[in-house]
Amino acid sequence: MSKIMTVDVLSSIKDAQPSEAVNKLFEVIKKANTNNNLNNASHNNALFLDDLRADTVINSSALEKQIIIENFPKSKNGYLVVSKVIEE
Amino acid sequence: MSSQIQTIHKQLINQDITCTALIQQRLDLLKQNTHNTVNALLDKTALELAAKVDLKIAKGETIGLLEGIPFGIKDVYMLQGTYTTASSDLLKKYKSAYTATAIQKLLDAGAIPLVKENGDSFGHGSSSENTIFGAVKNAHNPNLVSGGSSGGSAVNVAKDYTVFSIGGDTGGSVRQPAGYNNVYGLKPTYGRISRFGLMAYASSTDCVGPIAKSIEDIRIVLNAISGKDIKDQTTYASHEIPQDSISNSTQIKTIGYFKNFIENDAIDAKVKSDFLETIEKIKAKGITVKALDFFESETLVSTYYTLAMAETASNLSRLDGTNYGNRIEGDNLKETYSVTRSENFSEESKRRIVGGNQVLSQGFSDAIYLKGLALRDAISKNFENDFKAVDIIISPVTPNVPPKIGDSLKNPHAMYLSDAYTVGFSLGQLPTLTIPQGTTTGLQITAAKNNETLVLKFANFLKDTL
Repeated sequence: MSKIMTVDVLSSIKDAQPSEAVNKLFEVIKKANTNNNLNNASHNNALFLDDLRADTVINSSALEKQIIIENFPKSKNGYLVVSKVIEE
Repeated sequence: MSSQIQTIHKQLINQDITCTALIQQRLDLLKQNTHNTVNALLDKTALELAAKVDLKIAKGETIGLLEGIPFGIKDVYMLQGTYTTASSDLLKKYKSAYTATAIQKLLDAGAIPLVKENGDSFGHGSSSENTIFGAVKNAHNPNLVSGGSSGGSAVNVAKDYTVFSIGGDTGGSVRQPAGYNNVYGLKPTYGRISRFGLMAYASSTDCVGPIAKSIEDIRIVLNAISGKDIKDQTTYASHEIPQDSISNSTQIKTIGYFKNFIENDAIDAKVKSDFLETIEKIKAKGITVKALDFFESETLVSTYYTLAMAETASNLSRLDGTNYGNRIEGDNLKETYSVTRSENFSEESKRRIVGGNQVLSQGFSDAIYLKGLALRDAISKNFENDFKAVDIIISPVTPNVPPKIGDSLKNPHAMYLSDAYTVGFSLGQLPTLTIPQGTTTGLQITAAKNNETLVLKFANFLKDTL
C-alpha cells in the first residue's frame, strides 16, 4: 500500500492523535546509546517440535459454543449479524 | 511460618469454622466494601463450592491445603461463564467461554473464587483509576490510589476480603499495588506460570502474579499455579519449592542495589533514607552489599513503554466489536471498527494503542521500536553480569508514596515515570517480590531467572531482620 496511513487509521480509533506524554518517552529512546548493536542480538526462541500442540481440531464444548454465541454483539432471526462490508 | 492458608486449613479440618460461613463472611465484606475493588461477585458458585467442601469434611474425607480457601481474580482472567470485563466499556458484557490455566489449577486444587477484581482497564495504568468501575481506593487511606493495575486485588488482600488474589504484572502491576497497600506481591520469572486465559497486554512481559499477606502463602500459591502448559509456548517446567528450602538464607552472601535508583532527585527523601537504613541493617548481618551501575530510570521507562505500547497496539487490534464486545454500528465495517474503539477504550488505552502504532510504523520502527528491542537486550545482559557478582538485588518499589486519587490522570507522563523501579525487572523477565518492609511502599527482591527460591529465602531473612 503506497498511501500514507495516519495513526487514527492505523489504530482504527476515530480522530486519534499522537500524545505529548508518549512522544516524550520516544524522544528518550531516540537519544539513548545502544552501542550500535541493533541487529546483533541472538535470540533463542525456538521450540522443540514435541512441545507443539497437536495439529488437530478440538471441538469446543456445548457450553463454550453457547457463550461464544451469547457474546456476539448482534443477532436477527437466529442469525449473527456483522457490519456492512464495503470494498474500496 | 505465618500463613493464612495454613491457619484456615486447620480451622476447616478441626471444624472450628465451616467453609460456608467463611465464604459468606468474605462475600459480605466484599459486598459492603467502599474501596471499589469488586467488578463482579461470584457469590452463587462460591457458596455452592463451599457446601461441597463442608460435605467432604463432614464425611471425614481429606481436603487439600487450598481446598475451601477464598481467593480473588483480577478481571482480566478468563473464568468460564463469568463476566470478564478488563474493567472496560468494550467488554463490560463479555463472558469468558473458557478458564485460564492458572485459575483452573487453583479450581482443581479446591480454592474458591469469590470476586472478579477491579483494576486499570486492560492493565493500562499504575493507579487503578482507568476503569469503568470507579477508582480503587488505597486500603490504608481512601484518598490515595491503590496503585495498579492490579489495585483491586492488592486492596482485597490487604483488607482481608480475600486470602490471596491473582493479579497480572506486565511492568509492575502486581508489585507496585502490593507496595502501596503493604502486602506481598510476586512477579515470577516470565514463563513460570501459563498466560493462557490472561487477556494479553504486552505478551513479552505479561506475568501471572500472586498477592498475599505472607511469604508462605505466596509459596503455596506459586507452587499450585506454576508449570509448563502446551497452551502457552513460553512456559517452562519448574520444580515445586518446598517449605524448608526457603527457611534458611545462609547461601546468600552478597546482595546489590542500583545506586542510580537512590542517588537521584526523583526519589522521595523518606523512601531514600528508609532504603539506606535497610542496607545498613543487612550489612550488620554480615552480608556484603554492592552498589551497582544500571540504566537511567528514564531509559528503562521509555524502553518498557515503547515495547509495551507496540505489543498492546497489536494485541488489542482484535477488539473491534465484530465477534464480541460493545459494538457501535457505523455506516460500514471500517466506520464500525473506528467508532466502537474510540467510544469504548479509555483515554489511556487509546494513548497506548496510538503510541504503539506510531513506533511500529515505517520510518519510526528503526529509530524507536528496534532500538527499544536492542535496549532490552542490553538491559538483560546487564542483569546477567550483575548476577555473576551478587545473589540478590534489592530496590525500592516506587520512588514516591501513593498519589492522591485524580493526580495521575492529570499527568500521564509522571505516571509512566512512577514505574521507574519496576519495569527493568519486567524487561529482564526476572522473579521479583514486593515485601511490605524496608520503605513506606515496600522493597523489591530480585534474583536471577527461575530462582524464586532465593527470592523467598531472602524475604524470610528480611522479615526477621528489619
